[in-house]
Amino acid sequence: MDAVPAIRVVDLRKSFGALEVLRGVSFDVHRGSVVSMIGASGSGKSTLLRCINRLERPSAGEVFIDGEPMGGPVTASGERKERPLKDINRMRRDLGMVFQQFNLWPHMTVIGNVIEAPLRVRRMSRKDAIQLAEECLARVHLSEKGKEYPARLSGGQMQRVAIARALAMQPKAMLFDEPTSSLDPELTDEVLTVMRELAADGTTMIVVTHEMAFARDASDRVLFLHNGQIEEEGPPDQVFGQPRSERCRQFLSKKLQ
Amino acid sequence: MSEALIDALNPALFWEYRLVLLRGLAFNAYVFFAAATVALVVGLAAALLRVNRAWPFRMLGTLHVEVFRNAPDYIMVIWVHFVLPLLLGKLIGQRIEFSPFVSAVIALGFVYSGYFAETFRAGIQSIPQGHLDAGRACGMGETAILWRIVLPQVVRRMLPEAVNQFVSLFKATTIVSLIAVPDLMYQVSMVTQQEMRPLPLYTGAAVTYFVVIYVVAGSVRGLSERWRNKIYA
Ligand SMILES: Nc1ncnc2c1ncn2[C@@H]1O[C@H](COP(=O)(O)OP(=O)(O)OP(=O)(O)O)[C@@H](O)[C@H]1O
Ligand SMILES: [Mg+2]
Repeated sequence: MDAVPAIRVVDLRKSFGALEVLRGVSFDVHRGSVVSMIGASGSGKSTLLRCINRLERPSAGEVFIDGEPMGGPVTASGERKERPLKDINRMRRDLGMVFQQFNLWPHMTVIGNVIEAPLRVRRMSRKDAIQLAEECLARVHLSEKGKEYPARLSGGQMQRVAIARALAMQPKAMLFDEPTSSLDPELTDEVLTVMRELAADGTTMIVVTHEMAFARDASDRVLFLHNGQIEEEGPPDQVFGQPRSERCRQFLSKKLQ
Repeated sequence: MSEALIDALNPALFWEYRLVLLRGLAFNAYVFFAAATVALVVGLAAALLRVNRAWPFRMLGTLHVEVFRNAPDYIMVIWVHFVLPLLLGKLIGQRIEFSPFVSAVIALGFVYSGYFAETFRAGIQSIPQGHLDAGRACGMGETAILWRIVLPQVVRRMLPEAVNQFVSLFKATTIVSLIAVPDLMYQVSMVTQQEMRPLPLYTGAAVTYFVVIYVVAGSVRGLSERWRNKIYA
């Protein structure tokens, strides 16, 4: 195991007003490993992912990407200096995110969606960006759809475009927030297949999912989140085989029946 | 039809003065394009104020919308032309005068900026938050998100309503003849004074406006529908 994890989450806390959603979450994601996050609705999984790339600002705690603190370095006097948005945007490039609702930009073609960030954020030339986008679309098996508008794609295709868009940032890690939850059952497989291929290629991934089969056989570690805390954590065999927590056992038995 | 009626409606007179009248119509077009530009720019600024996180900005935006949306364009044109220069002149202690054209553009531009601000605001608020999150997650800055993700969608969404507002604005350009902008209506009344035959002239003007608005608005609607259909399939 390498010394500096790709993502290190330390005592992360987040409240919305009086509602404490995350109550001290810590874990590491090592380079090339896949962490699946499971848990009941409302347990704070989305909030956790959104705090990692700072779409939400954590109330306390810190996230380190390759050892670099997302929130800002601590000064000699022990105070944390909040990073300017510009720096946060730079660090966000290292984290690709895939949303439950795809969130493709409907006014751009498929290729337009994928080249947008390479063009505007990484300032690549158009030619290079298109070449990169074509590689990314090939990885999600959608090479022939570049000129289509999202409205003409199926849900599974849209989600794969969203994955290609995130890959085009050439991120250090990918964050998936229930990528198959808004898909019809017959469309989930094409997305899960792509995700398994990414995992097999050594992509560092955090995957929030209700797909227990994926969590069990595609991930290196499984986290069970309950009420804003990690209630159970371990390799899939252990979490699915002999969970220590009664709540986790109940959750799984409901999911697996 | 009686001879007298046919004679009264005879468009020959209108045709005879076609060059003068066409020049007038060109003035309507100038005023329209200049005022539309002002209305779009100021309207967008007001809309951005209205969706701002800080409430003083929001209030300023609301004030703008309410003031200008509820001001009759007739009064605004007169006020901007005759009162505003006096006020500004007192302010800087120097005589100011606006040309009729400038007054017309400012007045109509600001009145319509109130309508456009509301259209822009509704459009901006209809963009799903997820589209912005996706941009942020890609490391895009807020300005890039506004110009690349929000506004292009807003423009497509607001087009049908905007076309209606452009039509109203074009119709409103006819009142600038009040402050002697030499537009079509102004030319018609000048020629009428000379020829003493208002019937064919005013009828000709009405028909001209109708045809121009009908044809231009119709084609813009058609084009924008085809453009929108690609993304809202
Ligand atoms: N922006 C917000 N403002 C207020 N409350 C929020 C906000 N975002 C999330 N919450 C609340 O935080 C709690 C956790 O939400 P979160 O979306 O993280 O859960 P989740 O585990 O992802 O659930 P699901 O499986 O339904 O997606 C919920 O009670 C939710 O209502
Ligand atoms: Mg969620």
